[in-house]
Amino acid sequence: MKRITCWLLLVSVGQFVGAQDLTHPTDMGLPESNFVRPDPSDYQTVLENGLTAYVARADQVPLVTLSAFIRVGTVDDDKQGAAESLLESLRHSGPANLSPDEFTATLKAMTADYVVEMHDEWTEISLNVPVEDLHLAMTLFAGVVRTPGISSENISKVALAVVPEANDLQGEDGPALYEGSLTATVDRFRDLIYADHPYGSKPSGDDFDELSVADVTEFHATYFVPGNVVLSIAGDLDIDAMHQEVAKQFGSWSRQDVSKPPTIVPAVGSKTRQHSFPAEKLQSWLVFGHHLPLVPDRDQASLEVMNYILAGGHLWTRMTIETRYKYGYTNDASGFLTQKWFGPGTYDFRSYSRPEVIKPIYKNMLDQIFRIRDEEVSVEELFVAVGALTEGTFQIQYLDGYSAARNFALEYLRYRNHERSASYVDRIRAVTEKDVLAAARKYLRPDEMQIVLVGRPENLLN
Amino acid sequence: MKTLPLLLLIAMSLIAQGAMAQSSRYDLPIKEHLFDNGLRLLVIERPDEDRVVGKIFTDMGALNETPGQLGSAHFLEHLMFKGTPTLGSRNWTVEKGLHEQINAVEDALTEALNRSRNDLRERGVFHDYQHATSSPEIDELRTLIETLNIQVLELNDEGPMKQWYQAYGGTRLTATTEQEYMKFDLDLPADRVELFLRVEADRMQNSVFRNFDAERMILVEQRLGDLNRAETDFREAMNSLVGRVSMVYVPEGYNNDFSQYTREYQRELYETYFVPNNTTLIFIGGVTLEEMVPKVDQYFGAMERKPEPARYQGREPLPSAEKRLMWRSAVLSPRIDIRYQIPGVGHPDRPHFEVLEIALAEHLRNVMQDADIDGSLDINTRVVHTTRFGVPASINFEFILADSDQAAVAEKTLLVEMARLSDENIDATAVAFAQKTLRTKWYRTAADPNSLAFEIGHFEVMDSWKTLQPYLGARDATTVDTIRKLIGRYFIAKNRSVGVVTTAEQQP
Repeated sequence: MKRITCWLLLVSVGQFVGAQDLTHPTDMGLPESNFVRPDPSDYQTVLENGLTAYVARADQVPLVTLSAFIRVGTVDDDKQGAAESLLESLRHSGPANLSPDEFTATLKAMTADYVVEMHDEWTEISLNVPVEDLHLAMTLFAGVVRTPGISSENISKVALAVVPEANDLQGEDGPALYEGSLTATVDRFRDLIYADHPYGSKPSGDDFDELSVADVTEFHATYFVPGNVVLSIAGDLDIDAMHQEVAKQFGSWSRQDVSKPPTIVPAVGSKTRQHSFPAEKLQSWLVFGHHLPLVPDRDQASLEVMNYILAGGHLWTRMTIETRYKYGYTNDASGFLTQKWFGPGTYDFRSYSRPEVIKPIYKNMLDQIFRIRDEEVSVEELFVAVGALTEGTFQIQYLDGYSAARNFALEYLRYRNHERSASYVDRIRAVTEKDVLAAARKYLRPDEMQIVLVGRPENLLN
Repeated sequence: MKTLPLLLLIAMSLIAQGAMAQSSRYDLPIKEHLFDNGLRLLVIERPDEDRVVGKIFTDMGALNETPGQLGSAHFLEHLMFKGTPTLGSRNWTVEKGLHEQINAVEDALTEALNRSRNDLRERGVFHDYQHATSSPEIDELRTLIETLNIQVLELNDEGPMKQWYQAYGGTRLTATTEQEYMKFDLDLPADRVELFLRVEADRMQNSVFRNFDAERMILVEQRLGDLNRAETDFREAMNSLVGRVSMVYVPEGYNNDFSQYTREYQRELYETYFVPNNTTLIFIGGVTLEEMVPKVDQYFGAMERKPEPARYQGREPLPSAEKRLMWRSAVLSPRIDIRYQIPGVGHPDRPHFEVLEIALAEHLRNVMQDADIDGSLDINTRVVHTTRFGVPASINFEFILADSDQAAVAEKTLLVEMARLSDENIDATAVAFAQKTLRTKWYRTAADPNSLAFEIGHFEVMDSWKTLQPYLGARDATTVDTIRKLIGRYFIAKNRSVGVVTTAEQQP
């Protein structure tokens, strides 16, 4: 048989090809992990006004990243539109002592990477610059955080951007382009899940008629205070000098805290239902899932392990195996645990493919949800998930000064301590097969799935 | 802060940058070891780090495909995730026999298809003539392959490479195939670096192409993703307008190609290019060259040096006339796309085009604004997914217009201004700004060991890893004079390809 190539003949004599070492990974005697999470106290400094900063040296390249994390988000916005207007100011106006054009020109001259994101419950402002621009960047950064240039133009601009939501997903500029279609589908899923809930609240055009600069300024003044902001600063810098610079830029800020976190009502689940958004595309996009209640600390580890085994990413998971690896149905089938700080999150599953296989994709993904609720996972699955979480994804959160400072800052903003990261590895390693089963039964709700399909209409509930 | 001091500050910042010693900016402490079998090992030692980034680059990609098999290099990458006899099989002795049968049936199927084609003398048009007609024999052979494949599936575990990488702390488990390279990536605890060597050496020598036909559909899926973008068809038409010979200008497979893939062709690619003397290993992190050499030798040392794979032979003919494409579309925004062929990495002019790209963008935006032409300008060197090549590609001036009636004046304004800039220098501040932008971008790349390792490997397949640092330094040496000469030398009519997108309703 001419097509039987050399490699087949060679391997037929046994598991070893010549002297190539083909020991199975589990028999290689790979060392136990000796990773130790960095000590956050080595990074932390606290000003007299209560402002906490994490400062780290990372000197591979002459760059510095300045970040501020603020415990405020759209859910805190009693005056609808104030949060969005403040976001616009932070992004495009910069500090009050510069015009928007000057701010833009300064960022450009520094070749800065400037990002502002406002989530439901927290906000991030980050500025990455070459180290020779550090002094100017620090002044600019402190100005944006402490005294942003809030104007009526910002409010008007946001008001103009509020348009009625389009149901037509077609066209070049619509959200159903390939790059945006999964995002568009997820957006529709969230709109459905959070309909009539504070997390789903969005300002309307009328809200801005009543909104004044004073309202937005007050919103900023309430939440952008030393006790509600945590800084993360990392890069090619001198630690002591940076501590002094932080004190210089933020030390005069009057001490103030935010009185209490928001109270968020629980969400009410509803029976499984399909929601279709037709779009003439070569593929269809599928997102289905349900509310996720606030998860107590004792369940966090087992839920995380369960999700990793079921669908935790573009990796070796049950959903990937049963859709992509075995059948070639889709490029990806993954699960997303989205936990909120104060209220109900979501647990959803996403895939996309040519329309004719969307139905078997949905079926196979749903089968895995039922399966993981019905029987314990294998020892091997648990071994892989625990290793991946403790020695992979957890370790890279502390890969360098940038990521360590950032993750410590976010952890402190949320919990005011570092107990969770300190105990993370032990908690994950303690998870058993029974814990995974219990988490699946408690947090997976196949009878409450809201199924969003963008693309060719198809009844998935038959 | 007022405007004047701010501008002064900006100018001072740029001047200070220019005065900085160039050599210190791009120092890359790369250590190299070349094994007897031709395998190249590159290490950047960072002893304080707990983890290490590992990459394995093979000098092959879409450039090495033949027409009718486009996308097969990318497909090979997918197949190389399917495991080996020692990774993923529960009974290799039995499974091996099934693969032998599948290969034999595929041989028979190919022969049957060829006979069918020759018997019928089908010579249809466009995409639908090849092997379009089936026969009972062909159907039977296809069914037999499916049946055998199901038996294989019952004997193997899916995703064994990812599984064990994940279990031992591996992250960033990705792979990429572009025109000039295929690479596999991992980031893992440094003291477990042997796992990467064990799996990658096995993947390189012993890959088993399991579940071939299902995996073929993943490529179809990815292609559909490309085609869902309204711009894809137009961009691909522009690529083929610019280039006449090189495989750099073709996409990763047309629908026709996916059905043509065979195990035999994939095996040929695999055995030709996945040889130690066509392979580079790169590590950045908590390992040393000294400790890596014996470890690499343990897993790769038994591989024999093979005949050197032939270098890519495609050579573009010298351009001889301006070419134009008129594209009528109901969904695309109106636009003008002007492209010029430019040399690949390795040519001394290539690094200066990166400075030109940024310096000219701002300048031309202002020119268009002054001419009251409403739209957005992007200058890039993208062809398919990649922006840099070791072979000639193109620099693209893409102007998306708010009003299609302005297409002619927009094109004329751009061309007139570029003609002017072939005689007159662009503002030096624009060049200094472009250089600072590129430096900062490089620092961001170098800050991430994963991105840095990619750049090193990419240069190795395009030219040589040793030319990366001089390439970066050359960009800092670009002057306004350099820019003017590049414009005069390359941006000429006979090197120009122009695409005009108008609405479907607009008829000449």
